[in-house]
Amino acid sequence: MIQEETKKATYTIPVGPIHPALKEPIRLALTVDGEEIVDVDIFAGQVHRGIEWLGMNRNNPIQTMYLAERICGICNICHPFAYALAVEQAAGITPPPRADYIRTIAAEMERIHSHLLWAGVAAHEIGFDTIFYLAWRVREEIMDLIEYVTGNRVTKAIFQIGGVRRDITEEQFPRIRQSLDYYKSLFDQLKKVFLDDKTIQMRTRNVGILKTEDALKLLTCGPSGRASGVPKDVRQDQPYAAYADLNIKAMTPDMVTGTVVGDVYDRIIVRLLEVKQSIEIIEQCLEEMPPGPILAQPKTAVLLKALTQAEGEGVGRAEAPRGEVIHYVRLEAGQSTLATWKVRAPTYVNLMSVPTILKGMQIADVPIAFASLDPCMSCTNRMVITDRVLGKKSIMSYAEMRHLSLKKTEKLRR
Amino acid sequence: MELQTPEKIIDSFKTALGDGVINAKIYEREVAVKKNKFRSLWVEVKKSAFRDAVEHICHLQEYPHLAIISSSDLGAEVELIYHFTIYYGHHLEELSLGLRVKVPKSDLKIPTITDLIHGAVFTEREIQEMMGVEVVGIPDKRRLFLPEDFPEGVYPWRKDEKGPPDDMLRVLPGREQK
Amino acid sequence: MSLKAFKRALWVYHLNTGSCNGCDIEILAVLTPRYDVERFGIMLVGSPRHADVLLVTGPVVKQMVLRVKRIYEQIPDPKLVVVVGSCGIEGGVFYESYSLAGPVDQIIPVDVYVPGCPPRPEAIIEAVVKAWVKLEKAEQGVR
Repeated sequence: MIQEETKKATYTIPVGPIHPALKEPIRLALTVDGEEIVDVDIFAGQVHRGIEWLGMNRNNPIQTMYLAERICGICNICHPFAYALAVEQAAGITPPPRADYIRTIAAEMERIHSHLLWAGVAAHEIGFDTIFYLAWRVREEIMDLIEYVTGNRVTKAIFQIGGVRRDITEEQFPRIRQSLDYYKSLFDQLKKVFLDDKTIQMRTRNVGILKTEDALKLLTCGPSGRASGVPKDVRQDQPYAAYADLNIKAMTPDMVTGTVVGDVYDRIIVRLLEVKQSIEIIEQCLEEMPPGPILAQPKTAVLLKALTQAEGEGVGRAEAPRGEVIHYVRLEAGQSTLATWKVRAPTYVNLMSVPTILKGMQIADVPIAFASLDPCMSCTNRMVITDRVLGKKSIMSYAEMRHLSLKKTEKLRR
Repeated sequence: MELQTPEKIIDSFKTALGDGVINAKIYEREVAVKKNKFRSLWVEVKKSAFRDAVEHICHLQEYPHLAIISSSDLGAEVELIYHFTIYYGHHLEELSLGLRVKVPKSDLKIPTITDLIHGAVFTEREIQEMMGVEVVGIPDKRRLFLPEDFPEGVYPWRKDEKGPPDDMLRVLPGREQK
Repeated sequence: MSLKAFKRALWVYHLNTGSCNGCDIEILAVLTPRYDVERFGIMLVGSPRHADVLLVTGPVVKQMVLRVKRIYEQIPDPKLVVVVGSCGIEGGVFYESYSLAGPVDQIIPVDVYVPGCPPRPEAIIEAVVKAWVKLEKAEQGVR
């Protein structure tokens, strides 16, 4: 609440939509009272490319698979995964078990790469550029592995309705195990760099807190929700593909610290634990991989005909590195495009918790608090924040906000 | 909180809503090598019983998770499906519940549920701008994804005359206009 | 094309006009120790007023048109524009969508195109070096 409205002026700070560090266009306008943030408003829509309309009007269902891949370049496996699950449910196709295991391995490799990417960007927002370069250098190992298994670094195109397009043969296993051993040996070092560093603790402890009840009310999912004490994980609750055979437990920060606070530090803990969990899942999948075919229907023309004549609806849910992805597909007989397609990415719901996280914070904490949610705007379609202005209007660019963030780190180090 | 079976849940819907329930079905699938079975529920209700249905779901679980509202243009009516999940956090126990409600285009309105579920505001704003469904009582009426200068009355997900007109589509040179 | 022609460092500004981030993470990967473009003097800057080269990704979404033009005007001459990814060249996968305002070269003049979805980091480095050589030649008055 703002007392003394005539004396205290509220400034509106629009930030963005061009983000100097990386990534998506995002514009923030915060109402601040001195240094403290009072209110935040959310708009969205700058990465809106009309993908659902394209899927319903222009593409046939198999082409839409590759369109779904380009919803986001970072969460590149989870969107085709959920889409394939939805179409398979609608058309009544069951992928063979070997395809399920290969899909799981690809999804876990993507999780490792995405969390390491996030770790670098989060360090960059605090000002530790050395860790940024270190994390991304370490990430190159998993990118090499992804290229070895699927053929490309970023857009992998390994999914097909009814299975996968490429097989992982026995000769490839030793190379995969070699990369996993490399990451296992590095894990303790990563933990030390991120969790034991005093400056990181000072910048992230009690910053950007989201309480458990707020997380439940605002439907937060993914690592941000787990860090706030909501143990919700699609791989644990309603497993799909090979996760149904494995016993997955949702990672929560009390496994390391004993309590749940719901701040940025807890989110770092959850993501690091998930990297370790992903390595173990890939190893288990390699050991238990069943033999057999990789596609339910290898001939694409026959598959396309079957899909055009299928009728039904399906819901596909997958666990992306950022949370729960859900696709709804409805097929109508005789229609060459999808009748209805609805995509929901995890950042869509996680964005609603941004006002709660940022209220009461200082401006210098905005970059790290916002980045700790791991927003993927191209999945969501962006966010713009504006607000009411009571007093003078001042404009601060994102570069200046980040500069404040760096200065705070320097002050803490002294 | 007691975890009920899908059949019991459907019975509790019928008891609470009476003839507000039009139909209900359970879909089952088997997954992977161990062939675990997973079930999901689809319940169709009348528009008049819609708010009671959502309140009933809130009784089944304290904070149900609303994933998204999907909408399909079926000609004379618009079908909205509210995708809920309940019993999350329990290994192998989560249930997907799809609440289906058909709204005629002559009276394209649906009441809001943001007082029961705070996180529903984004998805209600989206169906307002993309499908033209008016959500009565929504706390925030603004557009979510479309730009401010997008023409009024054009709804991208519609298949009838209100969809995007051909001159809004950016077609490659040399490619015939569909 | 020899390294002796490079008389100064090249500063690059990155602009995302609605892409899926695939090209953006490959551009950032170019800075990291594996490909390490900074040893050539190529650096990513935070403000268009310091930049020589503009790297654009993404199909231009209608909301981003004015901003693209504004950023282009803020970059001081001599400047070059490099479009990374198939989206900026002709819309890529999104070619018929109602929310696109056309490929980048209909909004600002473009010098180098890098096709790919996304292009490999090696291709991006080659594109920036080609742009560099073009800039040096333009400064020396040679076309």
